[in-house]
Amino acid sequence: MNLKHVFRSWEFALFVLLVAEIAVLGVINPTFLNIENLLYSTLDFSHILFAALPLTMVIITAGIDISGVSIMGLTSITLGLVWVAGVNIFVAMAIAILIGLLAGLFNGFFVANTDVNPLVITLGTLFMFAGLAQGMPALLDLLGFKAYGSGGLAAYQYEGITGLPDSFIHLTDGSLWIIPYPFIAILIFAAILSLLLHKTRFGRALYLIGVNPKATIYSGVPIKKVLIGAYLLSALGAVLAGITLTSYFTSARADLGGDALLPIITTVVLGGADILGGSGTILGTLLAGLLLGFLRQGLLAIGVTNDLIQVVTGALLILAMATKRLAAVYGEFRLNRRTLSSKERG
Amino acid sequence: MKRFFKSRELLIMLLLAVLIIITGLFNKNVYKFDSISEIFNASLTLTLISLGEMFVILTRGIDVSVGATAGLAAVILGTTLNLGWPIGWAILAAIITGTLAGMVNAFGITSMRVPPIIMTLGTLGIYRGLMRIITGGSWIENLPQSIKEPNRWDILHVPFFVWMTLIVIAITAYITLKARPARYFYAVGDNEEGAYLLGIPVKLTQFAAYTLAGFFAALAAIVFTSQIGFVSMNAADGFELKAIAANVLGGVSLTGGIGTPLGATIGALFMTAVHSMLIFLGIPGIWDNAFAGIILLTVVYIDYRVRTTIELQQRQSRIRGESGAVGGES
Amino acid sequence: MSASAKQTPSTQKSELLLELKDVWKVFAGVPVLKGISFTLAPGEIHALLGSNGSGKSTTMKIISGAYRLDKGTMKIMGAPARLDSPKVAHSRGIYMVPQEPHIFPHLSILENLGIGLSLPPAELSQKVSPLLSELGFKTDLRESAAFLSIAQQQLLEIVRGLLRNARILIFDEPTSALTFRETGHLFERMRYLASQGIGLVFISHRLGEVMEIADRISVLRDGQIVFSNPTSSVTPHALIKAMLPESAEDSSVSFESEKSSVGGTVLEVEHLNSEAFTDASFSLHAGEVLGLAGLVGSGRTELSEAIVGIDPNARGKVVIAGDDLPVRSPAICQQHGLVYVPEDRHAHGIFLDLPSVYTITAGILPQLGKYLLSEDKEKDIGERFVDELNIKVNSIWQTAGTLSGGNQQKVVLAKALAGEPKVIILDEPTRGIDASARQDVYRLIRALTKEGVGVLLISSELEEIVELSDRVLVMYRGRITEELSGKDINLERVTNASFGISTEAKA
Repeated sequence: MNLKHVFRSWEFALFVLLVAEIAVLGVINPTFLNIENLLYSTLDFSHILFAALPLTMVIITAGIDISGVSIMGLTSITLGLVWVAGVNIFVAMAIAILIGLLAGLFNGFFVANTDVNPLVITLGTLFMFAGLAQGMPALLDLLGFKAYGSGGLAAYQYEGITGLPDSFIHLTDGSLWIIPYPFIAILIFAAILSLLLHKTRFGRALYLIGVNPKATIYSGVPIKKVLIGAYLLSALGAVLAGITLTSYFTSARADLGGDALLPIITTVVLGGADILGGSGTILGTLLAGLLLGFLRQGLLAIGVTNDLIQVVTGALLILAMATKRLAAVYGEFRLNRRTLSSKERG
Repeated sequence: MKRFFKSRELLIMLLLAVLIIITGLFNKNVYKFDSISEIFNASLTLTLISLGEMFVILTRGIDVSVGATAGLAAVILGTTLNLGWPIGWAILAAIITGTLAGMVNAFGITSMRVPPIIMTLGTLGIYRGLMRIITGGSWIENLPQSIKEPNRWDILHVPFFVWMTLIVIAITAYITLKARPARYFYAVGDNEEGAYLLGIPVKLTQFAAYTLAGFFAALAAIVFTSQIGFVSMNAADGFELKAIAANVLGGVSLTGGIGTPLGATIGALFMTAVHSMLIFLGIPGIWDNAFAGIILLTVVYIDYRVRTTIELQQRQSRIRGESGAVGGES
Repeated sequence: MSASAKQTPSTQKSELLLELKDVWKVFAGVPVLKGISFTLAPGEIHALLGSNGSGKSTTMKIISGAYRLDKGTMKIMGAPARLDSPKVAHSRGIYMVPQEPHIFPHLSILENLGIGLSLPPAELSQKVSPLLSELGFKTDLRESAAFLSIAQQQLLEIVRGLLRNARILIFDEPTSALTFRETGHLFERMRYLASQGIGLVFISHRLGEVMEIADRISVLRDGQIVFSNPTSSVTPHALIKAMLPESAEDSSVSFESEKSSVGGTVLEVEHLNSEAFTDASFSLHAGEVLGLAGLVGSGRTELSEAIVGIDPNARGKVVIAGDDLPVRSPAICQQHGLVYVPEDRHAHGIFLDLPSVYTITAGILPQLGKYLLSEDKEKDIGERFVDELNIKVNSIWQTAGTLSGGNQQKVVLAKALAGEPKVIILDEPTRGIDASARQDVYRLIRALTKEGVGVLLISSELEEIVELSDRVLVMYRGRITEELSGKDINLERVTNASFGISTEAKA
């Protein structure tokens, strides 16, 4: 990769936009330029980044996973219930992670072994996992775990499970110097995913599948394993998001993250991943996540309402996509013109 | 082929019947006329939204903004009513709102080349945001009696809205079966390039599909606003996904070109009936989603197995037919 | 006969139905048509010959309004034309009968005929029935169109054209999926249409058919018309010469003289069966080119897909380099030294939107490093093949989709070779590539056999089979009906066997 290549990349454009955005918002509201505040504000959208980063890999395969938002709630409520049952919070966390990953395995297995559209499959699991999460407290009651709490565990389904230990809350309110733990975790997660995507067989296979699944099979790549891996990673992102949210809100709830679907997909698409497969980078998603997240924080800070921000986000998603599409069409048009005129001269 | 897809609708209908009968074994109230009528009544919103979504899916598209569109139309209906508009004008305003919202999607997808899922995901955010901006985030209550009135009308003990929806379904079914331009939805979804080469206005057809989705969402908005008598900010939230699920359940294929209004209707009815039956069985409503998801996955999996088996058989019989022809020639 | 279809045949050459002049078309910066000129007179059957990728389909799509030309002029019946869509082309009297007819299986035959037209059903069937009887097409119009044979589907497409009052009908490879008898019927109908004053463009790559039906023959090669003459003044030899690369014959001579010695068995297939073919048995030796001939649909591709395990339903014995492999997949075959280069390189071979080197290394990713892919190694391998196969790229990172057809095919071949196979199955390796790339592929096959690789060569270009193969198998309707070797390998024997002629003589 040469320098010219870097400057022309979508990631570089996102980076410039991000810097410009922080500058503009800083001019309007100088407190925004405070690095500590800026880093602290990432806590508000770290769950989106966690979920969006590995979703990029699923979208590169021309798939999609919309069930992540349900896996967040499933993870959260599992963690809470296991803890309420008297298990150490970190053991509870491990069990919750396991349950979340099983959910991802289910998605991956279904996608890899049938030709059913991944949107339909993860739509089905979106309902199923959400339903399991919502029903889990009552189910435990039915199974005879009535001992905990007067109204039974079912009460938790509306109130959420609070009073989680400080050691767990500290996961999100602690920081290394001025960098909050979740943000450090996001950076590490992004680095690992990026390495996986660009430097391993698995990552290469994701691109190959996204561009031409048939040719990938003909090339002898174990496509089923790769697909299962991608959906598993996507679930891992949702699991991490669920844990972060639980700790951040100091409450384990079945419906956590329910409204995150739009911002998550917006992040991935704005980050440069093509919904039709074959393109996208982890860096792009990370930058897009920060861009959208800071935009939200900045707009909130200058008094713009949440509702208007939602409108802006939606419009941004559409505009980003339309610009890319039309630019591609225009690019090919110009390329063809140039070829024709060079032939004329030649 | 055709017979098979007919049987998909039949399959869901049978499943529905089994569901109702089994529930009835535990709770006799299910068999009462009012109970059945109530299930129909409760399914109207989803049915109407699903019908609109069907046109989009037939053209091999997807629209995840229909729930938000219904919500926005409901807000316009409620706001204009509370401003003192006559009910007729308010309903018209709601329908125009829904249709326009659909046209925005249509424009982005056909002219700006934005992929359908991205376009409608974007407008999902925009329409939901607009809803709250218009109302300032509060519910619209104290609606005039005129809008709640139709919900109390009934003809032969069947609510007015059930009749209305049945008529809408009948019209839609008739049009998709008989009207030539409606066939374009199938042609475009079945084989977009082929349709274009045959001179079918592909973009216009796609445009019409998303516009219709918006129109039907507005109809749904009118029905549920009348039924519940207020407009919450979560109105029709999540209905986009339920509508897609209902279509898939009813045999409307996401790969385009396959499906009927009857299928979409039965799918929506089934989704609603699951909820009602769980209540009759005394199972808390929180299990709704889990059951809906499991049923959807089961049906698409069965469909996948049946489909691959049939394809294999067809290929085998085609080969057999060929070798038969060899014998005939020699 | 209906009055509507019966036009008085215009006096010859008074006015051309269609005239293309210096037409260019560019895709993604790659010129596909380089200034072609083409004419069609009323009542004329003008054949356009050329291999896939030579620009035939692009030419036809421009004439039928599906593509817009980038440069040049087009006149219809003397008037300049700008066709923005197929619908406009229809209104100017042009209709294309596509290679794969567009059938909507959920609609009835009548609905299929009428789709895209604004005619009430009653009027439609009134217009349709005389056309059907003229064409000898007997069918129940209310039936579902899903059950029509390919030949009937083509008739349906012709009727669609006639319903639009077409004066110019384009047939895109109409015989590729037809039986001999069906082809005969189609030709009768084409002659009838020509007698009605309609101009017909007939696209094909089959010499015999073209010589039989066409009034005039043009040959398209690599985006240019290299030959255009009335059929009466054309010899098959001249046509072959026009279609094949200039130096093809020379190279085949040298190929013969350098034939390498044949070694032990590297691939053994015994009693392999699937839905598409029956009881296939043969063996392939190291250093040997085994040609597999047969018409499209004879089961050639299905046989190779069964060998490499893409079709899991195939039953039979396959031994690769001494290993009996009851369970196979492309990955397993690759591990045992067999690679398959599929026929449809766009659908099954290449990754168009990614750097060219990604295709080259797609099959050998495990060799690029145990845990992490080594960019250096990848670069080495990529550049080695670019050199060896003479692939024209700016760099190995150039997007594969921007390469010419020949270079794309070489990239796909490089992918197969990178795995250092003992057996290689080449399915139509030269389809749609230009002369010099073709030479490179021939040279490569020779180099492979010298190194002791066994080559199974599948090709529709029988000349290629005849010139390159040590032994030839011919498939006809799912069976290997003929094995030829030595002097028996000649164009006539292979052609006859492909059409099942010798088989029927025996029966």
